[in-house]
Amino acid sequence: MGYYHLSLFFLIVTACIFQQFVPSLSSLYDAKILLVPLVFLCAVVTVDTGPMLILGFVAGFLWDAQHVITPLPAELSGNPEVYGDPGGDVRFGYSIILYALMGLFMQGLQPLFREGKWHVSAILAGIAIFLYLSAEYLCLTFVRGDLIISRGLFLKISFTALLTMLLCPLIFWILYRLAALFHYTITYEGLAPDREAAN
Amino acid sequence: MKPINFVVLVLFICGVVWALTLSERTVRRIQQTYYATIGPFLKGGSAMETRARDFLEEIEHSKDLENRLRAIEEEYIKLRSIEGRLRELESENAVLRRALDFKEKMRLNVVAARVIKRQPATWWETAIIDKGQNDSIGAGVPIIAPGGLAGKVDIASADTCSMILLTDERCQVSVQVAGTPEVGILHGMRGRYGEEPRLILRHLSREAAILPGMKVITTGKGGLFPSNLLIGTVREYTPGPVEGVALVQPSVNFDELGVVFVIAQKSEPEG
Repeated sequence: MGYYHLSLFFLIVTACIFQQFVPSLSSLYDAKILLVPLVFLCAVVTVDTGPMLILGFVAGFLWDAQHVITPLPAELSGNPEVYGDPGGDVRFGYSIILYALMGLFMQGLQPLFREGKWHVSAILAGIAIFLYLSAEYLCLTFVRGDLIISRGLFLKISFTALLTMLLCPLIFWILYRLAALFHYTITYEGLAPDREAAN
Repeated sequence: MKPINFVVLVLFICGVVWALTLSERTVRRIQQTYYATIGPFLKGGSAMETRARDFLEEIEHSKDLENRLRAIEEEYIKLRSIEGRLRELESENAVLRRALDFKEKMRLNVVAARVIKRQPATWWETAIIDKGQNDSIGAGVPIIAPGGLAGKVDIASADTCSMILLTDERCQVSVQVAGTPEVGILHGMRGRYGEEPRLILRHLSREAAILPGMKVITTGKGGLFPSNLLIGTVREYTPGPVEGVALVQPSVNFDELGVVFVIAQKSEPEG
């Protein structure tokens, strides 16, 4: 763990703040760019499994602190005779697991990224966002009941994944700049001769 | 697996178990701290956003004038620009007057607040307002907007509050269809994107005499919301084998939620 890893932590916190100012696009089914998952997904392909899990914990924790609606205390939930079933919601902390799963998914193609094929990771990030949002929606559906799937929902998830994916090159550029600044090696150029030698 | 990664994995699992088993009270405290931390950024960002929007509007307005009045004298362009700005102020003034009039008509002790962030979450219908505990606002208090009930406070930090909008599935309200004895529980609908927001009203009688266009108001029962607050208008009623269900169009325009009023202290007894 070095300064580069520390800078990734600050990058995620910064993304969390900037996420507040990203608007939903009503013309695209309320799709929006998800900065925190994007920064996490791009960052995890540049690090090992250990730092990936730590980043996943931080990002998931902050994400849930922002998003999860925690039930109000009993005294503020209204008369139970009137509001008998307040309805369930996902538990605080569920995003940490989803982030870790996304991280493992991204790290599956890490060797390609380290060979300099960042565009493969960018496409994979789009797929990961799509899967993440689908899993998040299914978690909500599971605890609340009533499976509601509509065209609007599918388009919202798709546009969100697409818009987020389009920002990948920018995040990778920032990561390369940070790596250069802190003398961290992302691309292992030594892999290429090794492969040639093997052939 | 490297030993260090194994250690991190064990710590990660412990961390997940810890996070998942946190009590609701602790989670609310964490969220309160989170909102208190990002509050200044939100307020500052919102002010910048307003300034930038004003600036862009001015540019757009100037360009529009330039295209339309290219052949007219410079003095005339200036006058039109001033007129445009005055109209903008007049319109803003009318909105504020309506809001003030609404506040005066309310028989409740309300605190006016500005929505500084609309729908920050992906699936949850929420917003952030620029008033908090410093203005005697606590969790669970109702929020109204010109038009009727808008939602309730979820997390209250010192300077800001996170509110759950009426269009969210988790915001349940005890309501009555005006002019009928029909009462039920109303909440938002999940999974509707790219469409007008609709609310769903459940637990109605199987064969209720409910017609489209009827008003829906709060009953005041249950101790959460005051009575007789307008919610919306019935769009459709579907009788069912056990209970009737109605779709309600909200009376508040949630796309243009600018100024809201938080009921800081109830001045009339609830049912």
